[in-house]
Amino acid sequence: MKRLLTLSTALGLVTGAAMAQDTLTISVYSFGMDAMTEAVFGPFEEICGCDVVIETGNSVERMAKIEANAANPVIDMAVMSAHDALALARKDLLQPLDVSQIPSHGDLYASAQDPIGGNFAVGYGFYATSIVYRSDLVEINSWADLLSDDLSGRVALPNITGTQGPLTLHMLDIALGNNDISFAATIGAVGAHADDIVTFYNRSSELAQLMLQEEVIAAPIGRFAWSRFSGADLPFAWAEPIEGQTGGMNVMVMTKDNGNEALAYQFMDYWLSTEVQTRVAEALLDSPANAKVVVSDEIAESLTYGAELINSLNMLDPAAIIDNREAWLENWNENVVN
Amino acid sequence: MFQNNREGLALALPAAVFTAILFLLPIGMLLSEAFQVDGHWSLRGYLDFASKPLNQTVFWRSLKLAGLVAMTSAVIGYACAFCIINLDGKNRGRIFGLIVLPLMISPVARTYAWIVILGRTGIVNDAIIGLGLSDTPIRILFTETAVFIGLLQLFLPLMIISLISSMENLPKDVIAASRVLGASWLQVFTKVILPLTKDGLVLGGTLVFTGSLTAYITPAILGGSKVLMLETLLYQRVNVANDFVSAGVIATILIVMSFGANILLKRIAAIRS
Repeated sequence: MKRLLTLSTALGLVTGAAMAQDTLTISVYSFGMDAMTEAVFGPFEEICGCDVVIETGNSVERMAKIEANAANPVIDMAVMSAHDALALARKDLLQPLDVSQIPSHGDLYASAQDPIGGNFAVGYGFYATSIVYRSDLVEINSWADLLSDDLSGRVALPNITGTQGPLTLHMLDIALGNNDISFAATIGAVGAHADDIVTFYNRSSELAQLMLQEEVIAAPIGRFAWSRFSGADLPFAWAEPIEGQTGGMNVMVMTKDNGNEALAYQFMDYWLSTEVQTRVAEALLDSPANAKVVVSDEIAESLTYGAELINSLNMLDPAAIIDNREAWLENWNENVVN
Repeated sequence: MFQNNREGLALALPAAVFTAILFLLPIGMLLSEAFQVDGHWSLRGYLDFASKPLNQTVFWRSLKLAGLVAMTSAVIGYACAFCIINLDGKNRGRIFGLIVLPLMISPVARTYAWIVILGRTGIVNDAIIGLGLSDTPIRILFTETAVFIGLLQLFLPLMIISLISSMENLPKDVIAASRVLGASWLQVFTKVILPLTKDGLVLGGTLVFTGSLTAYITPAILGGSKVLMLETLLYQRVNVANDFVSAGVIATILIVMSFGANILLKRIAAIRS
């Protein structure tokens, strides 16, 4: 498959060589692409007088592309989850960032300044994860309520294959008093309740539809999807469980030896600047990692915003995710979906 | 048509090169990876795959659902096709248009519609409660039943079209003749219609079986992670575990099963004749 990716990007390499020197190739999430172009990519092109070439896809595709073209990087800069960034750093595909080239770096929350160590990444957005539920039908006080009899047949959990899955297991693990990074007992508990769980969803849009048609009345979800529920006619609420909320961080990375470092640093600094982070937050595209960003209460309601909330997030260590996810998946496949 | 074969071959060359480079070569590379472990030729990928209970469950579930959908399509397809070929020209065209119409709608849209229809507040559950068959809504979504219904709706038109095409070539008098000679309707079907329309059945059966086996959207949306099929498992292995060996193994199994189904149906048809 990696050879296939190399083959498929060969054409891109040929055309890339013919491009003007001031071209920055970035690999980003496809979410809100038009809005991101308007808020970030387009204005940056005007400032730098360069072309920003955008590559999108899911995380695995984008990571595989970076790996397949390691000898001759096509991508200059990429954004991804912190644990995906750590996986690339461990494969020696990233270069440490010279943070002196990113003046906005000092404005970031402390946890976003060097999230995976070695300055291999810098955080640009946070998200909280908690439980959205129908406040007229059920009360949620703990993550353990997800497996309660009250929610039998009316609850959905995120699939372990997505970002939210391990986070949910992490909080269930705490709530059930297991505190074991193998999640063995917790996955066993989920497996014992598998018939009570409507589905293990993959996308927030999928969950939103199920909750809006009253198939599901409670499920864990990232705050970035809260706007799908907050404006609905049904009474949805955002839980504040006694174990707290979990969450994650998306980061920027620079591919190793891409030869376009100066432009990539300029772009990263631009994206992390207070001005752009504010614009992105106000468009509800990402929750800011820049501590100087100020938004209205209405906007903040839909974001993971503010030092108090961000510092309270019970995040899962990126290294723990990489080291354990294959075992989690095996265990999950055996005990939950088999 | 051409003055010599070279002209014909020269004209076919661009298409052949295009197919070889962009289809056959990538498929070959993909399949070859399923036979390589750590850079060496090996069957370990297949042995590892076969040894895992989940993979076994998913394999048999995929085979069972694809087989059930193909058989059910054949039963419904014969009834529909027989009715349609006996309609007059104008009505036949109208009904045929209605059968073809769903094929023009995106499978994603069609499958999402089932989420509403099969949901707790959908018309199926409304009918079940209304008829007094249950006091509370029953869960249909994210079960094998939901996947079966979705796949059947998706691929039934292909079976009907294949059978209509085959039945149109059926001599008009054979059914009447066999009835006059005392054959029951069951005998008419098994001794006359089935043997004379076997090509359509083989074609339709292959299309429906392989379509059901390799469909991704419908099992992913209506079955979710709780009803994994080979295609959804393949996606999981690639996109989560970055496990291209298992993905290659699954892809190979799907290709072999698709060809196998076609060969098996042809053999069965040959036995009958």
